[in-house]
Order: sequence, then structure tokens, then C-alpha cells
Amino acid sequence: MRERADLVEGNELQTHPIPEPVIPNPVSFLNGIERWSVVAYDGVVQVVSAYIAAAVRRRDAGGVLHTTGERARAFAIAPLDRMSAPLRQALEQSASDLERVDGDLVEQPARYLEMVETTVRRARAHLERELAEQSLKDLGADEWLVLDGLLSRSPAVARHPRALGVIKSHGAQFLEGRGLERALTLPAGHRTSVFAVRGGHTRTEVYSWYLRLWPWEGNDLQFGLVRVEARAHPETVTRAAALSAWLWAERAPLATPATRWDRLLYPLHHVEEYLKARAPRDLQLHRASRLPRTGT
Amino acid sequence: MIARSDPQSAPIGRVVATELKPATPHQFHFWTATDTTIGIGAIVKVQGAGSQESGRVVYGVVTEGFAYSDLATPLHDVVGAEGDPTRAADAPTVRQQIRYWTAAVLRQTPEEPLQPVPIGQVYVADDADVALALRMDGFLHSATPTAIPVGLYTAAGRDSPVYLDADFLLGPEAAHLNISGVSGLATKTSAVEFLLASIFAHFPAHKGRVAALCFNVKGPDLCFLDQPGDLSDEDRRRYERLGVPAEPFQRVQLYAPLKADGVNLNTLRTHPDLVDDVEPLTWGLQEVVDYAEVLLNRDDIDAKADAFIDFLRDRVLGRTFDDGFGTTHRVQTFADLDRFFRAIFDGLEITAGGRSDTWRTHHIATMRKVRNRLLNISTRCKGLVTDDGPSSDLPWSGFEDRTVYVIDIANVDPLGQDLVFARVVSKLREQLERRELGVDAVVVFVDELNKYAPGDGPETYVKKMLLDISERGRYLGLVLFGAEQFRSQVHRRVVGNAGTQLFGRMDMDELATPGYQVLTPATKSKLATLPIGELMVRHPHFTQPIFVRFPKPPVLRGRDGVERFPPAADVPFDEAVVRQLVRLDRRIRPNQVKDLIADREPDDVRRALAAARRTRPDDVFAYFRKVLGARVSADADLPAEHHTVPPLNPISDEPY
Repeated sequence: MRERADLVEGNELQTHPIPEPVIPNPVSFLNGIERWSVVAYDGVVQVVSAYIAAAVRRRDAGGVLHTTGERARAFAIAPLDRMSAPLRQALEQSASDLERVDGDLVEQPARYLEMVETTVRRARAHLERELAEQSLKDLGADEWLVLDGLLSRSPAVARHPRALGVIKSHGAQFLEGRGLERALTLPAGHRTSVFAVRGGHTRTEVYSWYLRLWPWEGNDLQFGLVRVEARAHPETVTRAAALSAWLWAERAPLATPATRWDRLLYPLHHVEEYLKARAPRDLQLHRASRLPRTGT
Repeated sequence: MIARSDPQSAPIGRVVATELKPATPHQFHFWTATDTTIGIGAIVKVQGAGSQESGRVVYGVVTEGFAYSDLATPLHDVVGAEGDPTRAADAPTVRQQIRYWTAAVLRQTPEEPLQPVPIGQVYVADDADVALALRMDGFLHSATPTAIPVGLYTAAGRDSPVYLDADFLLGPEAAHLNISGVSGLATKTSAVEFLLASIFAHFPAHKGRVAALCFNVKGPDLCFLDQPGDLSDEDRRRYERLGVPAEPFQRVQLYAPLKADGVNLNTLRTHPDLVDDVEPLTWGLQEVVDYAEVLLNRDDIDAKADAFIDFLRDRVLGRTFDDGFGTTHRVQTFADLDRFFRAIFDGLEITAGGRSDTWRTHHIATMRKVRNRLLNISTRCKGLVTDDGPSSDLPWSGFEDRTVYVIDIANVDPLGQDLVFARVVSKLREQLERRELGVDAVVVFVDELNKYAPGDGPETYVKKMLLDISERGRYLGLVLFGAEQFRSQVHRRVVGNAGTQLFGRMDMDELATPGYQVLTPATKSKLATLPIGELMVRHPHFTQPIFVRFPKPPVLRGRDGVERFPPAADVPFDEAVVRQLVRLDRRIRPNQVKDLIADREPDDVRRALAAARRTRPDDVFAYFRKVLGARVSADADLPAEHHTVPPLNPISDEPY
């Protein structure tokens, strides 16, 4: 996907070493999870049970995270118009929260499940957005909010002076040519110049830049590479170096055993683990084995 | 004493059970907040949740603790800090951590059916919970309570009294106490002193009268039990909490042998202000001969020697005996015994012309050997054993209730220590068997069991006696409180028969021995670092070891006692005699005594003094003068010649 990006720091996208970090305090971190599973069949119609949750955890002066906000939603997903009347009635009676989906893909189970996944992901994004907006209202005078993912989904969040989005996936390309090469070959401990992002998923213009947390040499180009989003404001350009240094300091502790530990900040990983621990146990990850898990 | 449960207390943890680490009827695991008062030895309560288990309550003691974070491998920490340890602490976020504890079940209610510990919330045990957990409710709240405070359970911020059951500490159900710990940390002796004070304060009336007899085998350890020590406010609060008076023992009788001069006391309690309370302990042949085994068993005494000793005991001692060479003997003192032997040897040499080397079937070599061993004691233990003087002994028929009898043998030859121990314990047993001691139970405190009842080494008479007390004493009311540094090296039956066991700080090498395998590594670690005044207690009612704190004993410690009451230097012979006589009768004028004894033989004076001490007449000086003026004998009925025993080398040149 191609987005629009306009350089707002200098005339050419450059690489900048980061200074000594200063870590703000307090800082809150927001992340979310999703779980879903096919729980019933009506012929080939697959009825899905889903669970999404998001939480904000604030880091105190001692470096310990405490939950300050949390939202969760458990709901069913089904193409009601393609279900038999008795089962449809039973589902409507038993599921207090029901998300209707289009039944056109019922006969194509794989594509149907992809649609279900998209639906769940969209619901999760919505939940995170709501929680982020609520959290910004409760944010302290000097407190920052760091989100896992795009900042620009919510105008309120995207315009907040102390909100940051940390994006690990680089499906959208904002740069090209020499600028793209410089971004993808950033040395560790360096950032790119700040550029403005709009269009595509980006509903509200934000300023963004790339930051390399870990050396990519010996790995792939995206290893340790994150894209940071902050509000579209000249102050962001001024602060980009200090914010990069802060995020660089967040490399430790490592977010292992997460597979993308090189780009995942530990506090965001921590929020995710917190949510996983509180999620209902009857929903297995959809790719998990259905065999009972044992410790022996 | 026991505070009631606070139903509003908040849970401090929650039981967790997994397939790999399940909860069982005897063990469970729980987690707490990182910042918690729980530690090794803390007693916790689990309350079952849900309709099935809501009534089930489980009490446990924490035996192991774990802490870990979500760090997958140590290498990740190295990577995160880029190999620089100084940067490892700079991480802005603290990893998620857990405090995970293992607890051993102390008690479940209801006790049947015995089931795994439920997954429930964990609470800190309060006083009432501690009483229930340790099954103290049975003897604490019964119609005839038998609870003896042993200390305060202070883990998890609590301050709960812990009690021992007198029926299991002093008999008859179980008895004896053993305490182990490294030396120099003021735990073993202090603990016994506190426990004796506690016993005296709480020994139930329906169980009769109790006394204690302590052997002081090290310096001035037990010499000042009647003097108040310095107690902190915290110690006084603990005494109040335990219901034990924070004051020294009200009735203490200290016995010490005399020095070789026969008049100065062989003890460190010789300060003029205190020496009057010390009774001399001196024994003659009659008191010693029954314990000849003590003197002989460590050498090469064989059956022949045994037979000869039996012959002496049955046919000679205290009887009129014709030696067959024309002399009639009545052997009552060591001096008499020496004359007896000389008469026989002379008889064999002169009368028999050296042709015979046996007398009444006993070979002369055997007799020489026995003579050397027996007479040797009066040399090596001079002051404790008198050649021919009368004895000064413990009140074997008049032990008083709640009185501590201390026998100071710290400066006595090891052989003499064995003798004192063997005779005192034997007499206690005899008197208790006859119910003539004056009390119903006696606690005998013996320190240094590593020396007196080692697990290996020869079978000494003392060891046999300790085994006998351990195995049969509880029926008689003869209770052994033993202390040692290395429990693993004390005879197994001595420590095994101790119903109650206390552990102070232990040496790690000792903890590595098989006897401590039942303890978890954490408990061992705690034992290896126990502070002064804290003990681990095992008692028949407690299903797991419990840690308690006890207050500093309310008595003057030996070292402090010596500083506050420095021992007086040995006084000249005449001055020592004066002091002892003045102690018997304050009216006596010193110069009168000095004039009287100025030109007398010291042995004559000693005998007269001993006679006065034993008789305690109304007019001491007149009696002393009379006895000194006439001939002093060991037995007033019998005239006895004055002979001293020629000194013998401890190591004889003779080949026996």
C-alpha cells in the first residue's frame, strides 16, 4: 500500500544519530489482543466466538506497570441470514453481543474465516481507539501514552501532544528511492528525518520517522526497525531526537519470547501478556492444536 | 494470650496448582505480591472457595520460596544490556516478577477426608490460627492445660505465642529436649535458661513439683542464675506476651567442689558478695566406689578387675574384714583403702615370702591395677574427692519445687566430671524411683553432648547413663535437656528419644548430613543464618518445624557475671577457714579461729571444718574446736588414724 509522505525536517531524508536518552515519567502503554474460534456449525455456516481486549498500564517511578484502564468485549460472529431459523433463534437468545456478517462467503470457508479475522481485528482497533481516547482524558500533565500501532486511527489521539504510536509492521511504504534506502538501511541507534504521513489508513495527518533499535546486519532489513508516529506539529520535529532516544532506551528489557522482540517494546509486550492472562480460557487461538495441552 | 481471628484480614496470596506442581494433602504452592511479609517459616491459612470447599481450612508453613521473572533465558538479559552489567539496571521497566512459595501442610480442618489443598486465597495466620495450626488448642484450652511457652512466632509480622505440651516435654507421653547450634551465639544456654524459667512459671499444678539440675561445664555459664541480667524493653514485652516473669530464678543452689587446698571453692562465683551461696561439693570413698566403672571403663579394665572391684564393694568396704595376714581392716576412706592394699601387698611379699602372686584368687597384678585406678581419683580430683574427709552432698531427699540446682564442674578434671555426672544422675534416678527426691520431675541440663554421648567412640558409663535417661527417664520424671554443637555426632538414641528438638544457628557442614534431609534448602539456609534468640522447634504436636523467637534470659550471663562480680583471688588457708566458719556462724571472730589453727596440720583443720559444715551445730566455733582438739574422723563412731594418700602420677609407670 502506498501512502503519501512529505518531508518536514530538512530538504532530504537523512539519518541522525540519537542523543543520550532521557526517559519521561510517568508513561502509560496501551495494547490489545484478539481471540476467536469457530464454536458451532449450521451446515457449512461457521459460527465464531470472539474476544477482544485492550488495556492501559502506567509505569510508576520504580519501573513497575499498573493497570489504569481496561476494556474487553466477548461477542459472536455469524451470517444470520444464512442460518436455519431454529439455530439462528438459539444464537440470538444465547449471545448477548452478536456481530452480523455478510453470508456471501459462507461456501468458501477459508475466505469466510479471513473475513471473520478482519472483522475481529477491526473491532479490536475500535476498542483500542476508544480506550486510547479515554486514557488521554485521564493522562497526567507530564504523562505520555505509547500505543502499539497506528496513532492516526483516531483524530483525538493523533492530535495529542504526548501520544506516540510505535508501528512494528511495515506493510505501508511512505518513502522511495534514496530516502527509502536510507530508511531501510538505518544503522542501529539512528533515526530518519521526520516526515508527514497522510492517506490510506491514516485518517489524520501525523508526523513520523523510522528508528533502528537493533543492528539489522545479519538479519533482514526490517530487523529492529520501528516507525514512530506523533502529532503533526513543529514541536514534534524538535522533539524527534529526544523521543527516539527514549524509545531506544526501551529496548531493554527484551520483549522475549515474542517473535518480534526486536521491534516490540517490553512494556507493550507486558500489556499484551497481562491481557492474555485475563482472557477466557475456552477460546483457543485459531491456529492452535485442538488436542488437550498437558504439562507432561 | 491468644488473640481471636480477624475475619476482615485481607488475603496475601492465592494457591496455584499445575499438573507439574499440583497441590497435595501435604503440600501446596501459592503466590504473593512482590512486596510481602511472608518468608520462610511463616504460617499461612488457606480458605477453600466454592460450594464444595468453602468450609475447608488448611494451615501450612512456608518451606521454600522462589522468585523469577518472565526472562526467557539469561542470555536475553545480557543482550538487553549489551553485555554491560551497569546498563542492566538502567532498563526503564521492571520485568514482571513472581514470588512463589511452597508450604507444607500443618493441619487441615476438617481432618477427614484428607484431601489436596483447595485452590483458595491465602491469609497470614493470626494467634488463633497459629494455635490451631500447631495443634496447641488441645493442651492450651483443655480443663487441665499443660502449655509451656517456648517463644514467639514472629514471621509475617505476627507475634504469636508458641507453646509446648508439658506432657510431651517433661513426660509421661514423651520427654526430653535436645538443642543444637554452633557455639558462641548465645542460643543454646540462653534457650534452656529461658525454657526453665518458662517451665517454672507454667508447669501445671496437677503435675506436681519440678526442679532442674544443671551441670556447669564451661566457665561461668550457669553461675549467676539468681542475678538479674539486663533486658531490653523488647525482651520485657516478649516476657509479658508469653506470661513468663522477667526476673531471675528465685531459688538457686550452686554446688562447687573445693580446690586442691581443700578450703577454697573451685568455681568462678567466688566474689565476696556471692560466695556464701555456694555449697562445697566433696565426696569420700563411700560416694565414689559405687561408680568405679566411671573411673575404670576408659582403660583396660577387664573381667578380673571387675570381679576384684565387686569383691571390694561386697566384702571389704564399710565392713570389718580380716585380710588373712593378721590384720583386721575397716575401709571407709581412701586412706583406709590404701592401708588395706599395702597390708595385702606386704602380706604377699613378707608373710608368703613372695612365693604367691594371688590373694583370695585375685592376682596381684589385677589388685595393683585396681589400686592405682581407685586411688588415682583422689589425686586427680582432689577437692572433689577427699582422701579421708566426710562428704558434702546434694540434698537427695529434699529437692525443692521450682529450684535450680547448679553443679559447677567447669574446672574439674574430665574424669571427675564424669564421676560427678554419673553419681548425680544415678542418685536422681534412685530417688525418683523411690519417690523420695522431693519433686516429681527433674530436668537435667547437660551441655556438650558431643563429648558425653558421642555417636561413635567407646561405650562409656556416662554415655550408658544418658542413654538410660533418654529411653526410660520419662517414666520416672527424669528429663534430659541436652545441648550440643553437632547433632549428627551425638548418639542416635539420645537425640532420637528427645521429644522436643530445638535448633539454633547451624553449621552448613552439619546441615549437609543425612539427619537434615527432611529440611528444604531454604529452611537449611535460614538455619545457617539464624540470628541470636531465634530457634527452630520440632515438637510432637507440630507436624513441621516452626521458627520462634525467645527473649533474652532474665539472668546474668556468665561473662557479664564475672565482670560484675569478679572472682576473688584464692585466700590463704587460715583466711579461707575463717570465711567458711563465719558463713556457718556470724558470731565467730576471725582471730579466734586463726589462733586456734595456727599450729595445726592442715588436714586436721580440713576435717574439722568439714565436720562442722556437715553437722552445722548451734555453736560452730565450740564444735570446731572440740573436733579439732580431739581426733577428727570420717565417722564419729569409729576412730580413724590420720594418713594421707601418697600422690600418684595420673599416668602410672605400672604396666596395667
